[in-house]
Amino acid sequence: MTDPVVVCRGVSRTYQQESVPVHALSQVDFTVYPGEFVSLSGPSGSGKSTLLNIVGGLDRPDEGSVSVDGVDLGELSESKLAELRLHKLGFVFQAYNLIPVLSALENVEFIMQLQGVSPVERAERATAVLDRLGLADMLHRRPGELSGGQQQRVAVARAIVSEPVLLLADEPSANLDSSTTKDLLELLKQLNEEGMTIVTATHDTMVMSYALRQVHLRDGQIEHDDQVQSA
Amino acid sequence: MTQAVSLSAPTSAPTGDTGLTWRLAWRNLWRNPRRTWLTAGGIAFASLLVTLSMSLQQGSYDAMVSSATGFYLGQAQINHNLYEDEGKLEQTVAPAGELRRSLEQISGLHVAPRVQVYALASVGQRSFGAAVVGVDFEAEQKLVSFFDRVTQGRLPVEDNEVLIGEALSRNLGAQLGDELVLLGTGKEGGIGALALTIAGLYASGRPELDRSLVFTQLASVQNGFGLGDEVHALVLGFDDIDKLAPNLERLSRGLPDNAELRTWQQLLPEVVQSIELDRISAVLFYGSILILVTFSVVNTFIMIIFERTREFGMLLALGTRPAIIMRQVQAEALMMWLVGTAIGLLLSNLLVGWAAVQGIPLGMMEEMAEQYYMPSRLYPAISLYAMSLAPLVLLFGTQLAAFFVTLRVRRLKPVEALRAE
Repeated sequence: MTDPVVVCRGVSRTYQQESVPVHALSQVDFTVYPGEFVSLSGPSGSGKSTLLNIVGGLDRPDEGSVSVDGVDLGELSESKLAELRLHKLGFVFQAYNLIPVLSALENVEFIMQLQGVSPVERAERATAVLDRLGLADMLHRRPGELSGGQQQRVAVARAIVSEPVLLLADEPSANLDSSTTKDLLELLKQLNEEGMTIVTATHDTMVMSYALRQVHLRDGQIEHDDQVQSA
Repeated sequence: MTQAVSLSAPTSAPTGDTGLTWRLAWRNLWRNPRRTWLTAGGIAFASLLVTLSMSLQQGSYDAMVSSATGFYLGQAQINHNLYEDEGKLEQTVAPAGELRRSLEQISGLHVAPRVQVYALASVGQRSFGAAVVGVDFEAEQKLVSFFDRVTQGRLPVEDNEVLIGEALSRNLGAQLGDELVLLGTGKEGGIGALALTIAGLYASGRPELDRSLVFTQLASVQNGFGLGDEVHALVLGFDDIDKLAPNLERLSRGLPDNAELRTWQQLLPEVVQSIELDRISAVLFYGSILILVTFSVVNTFIMIIFERTREFGMLLALGTRPAIIMRQVQAEALMMWLVGTAIGLLLSNLLVGWAAVQGIPLGMMEEMAEQYYMPSRLYPAISLYAMSLAPLVLLFGTQLAAFFVTLRVRRLKPVEALRAE
């Protein structure tokens, strides 16, 4: 069996909310293997976003260990953690979070500039990935000139352009209508079929239905973790 | 199995290509055009005000110095080292002829020798005390404007001719062509006497001078008062006053032991003091303007940072190092400065250029200006210093403002920043 992309062991995270401790995660063990499409679901406050943030190196657990692609995140400084996010992870956010003054192409290029990719190469790669996601005619449009679904596709393009080992999506369909959500999910499904490992936190049953593994959290613990037959 | 390894991927520092950074900086400026125009307008206004004021200020100093030195005193003088304090007849510099010839070897330098004695000036039955100044009129005219103020007659040409002030002429009841008798004490203690014909009258604009100074040929006074080849002053002046400072050492070289060189700063300490005083108050004024504008830049960047917290959170989440975000904001501050400074300098250059040609009439202040040796129109001095000081201070101020404000980015947690509204 191949090495896992994500290994969480005994992960706990407690927040202080107005001096009251809130146990967002308690002793969670969670492993993701290459090529999986995992949905993290559960009611608000169940800990799904916290787990996603910890896996993505955006937050650190109070207890337990997390490794991504064989790298123990607990051993990394903030700057090394940032490097890991930049080079190994792709993020899709609920609110797209594109840079409004850059065109679709430039938004995708921007991340590669940070990675040190040459201007020619990044233009080629960004154009190719946007073309592939059906945005060939929108390369030079700014986010404000794109629909919600198109913006989210640009965000996906930005996330996958560097071929990360893991794509993390936090409520990717929250701002989309059902038709656009379906298009997005078909895209994620296609990426997954090509080998992309995807973990998404969601409330949306449609998103869950596309995942091949459904992890349900409640009160900071995994309530059930089910493999689903591919449609 | 987990492993604590260093990442093999390249560092997240961007490559040398910064085109996207500058493009982004420029476009970010225009997210809120009104705010950008207000801030850049503040920078432009400060640049305009300070550069224009400094140019006018320097122009007024130049005019003041030029008028003060060009009126009568010259840019520098060589005197006996006790003459300034004691002013005695025998405190002279010699041999004056040789010294003058030596100094005239210096390119662009004009030298005018002067002797000054005190005498009783009489025409007919009337007598008044006067200072008799022996000069080389031709040399004087190359150095000072005093002798341009002849109102009647002409400058003395012959050894027995004299130029007197209109006021003294009135006091003595004298007219052109009258004989003026000067009676005083010669250097050796004997009587010094001259009988001269009034060739011209002058009005300097200073009644105290017009009442007391009479001018005749240098040799006449030297001979009449037993001074030989001695002078009380060698008045010096370059075509361009800026040549004085670099030539000071050369001018001092070879002076007799009892002689000293005094520059206009030593001859006119009141002018130096008044310039210094004005400069200090101007520095306070400029400083206040520049600090105010810098605070407006701080305010703008505080708003920018708060408005874009979510965007910065996204960038941090994607793996952007805080230093890169800070550099991005610094680039925006630089763009803001560029816009403001370009406008400010453009307007300033137009105004200064116009004023340099037309001059700014002083109007009601003309009389006061004259007391400070100022001309009736003020011409600004165009200098790199005046044009660059305010922009450079503002560059430093805007960069410092942006830097301190963006320090907040270092403390941002991506997860919290992404939740910002």
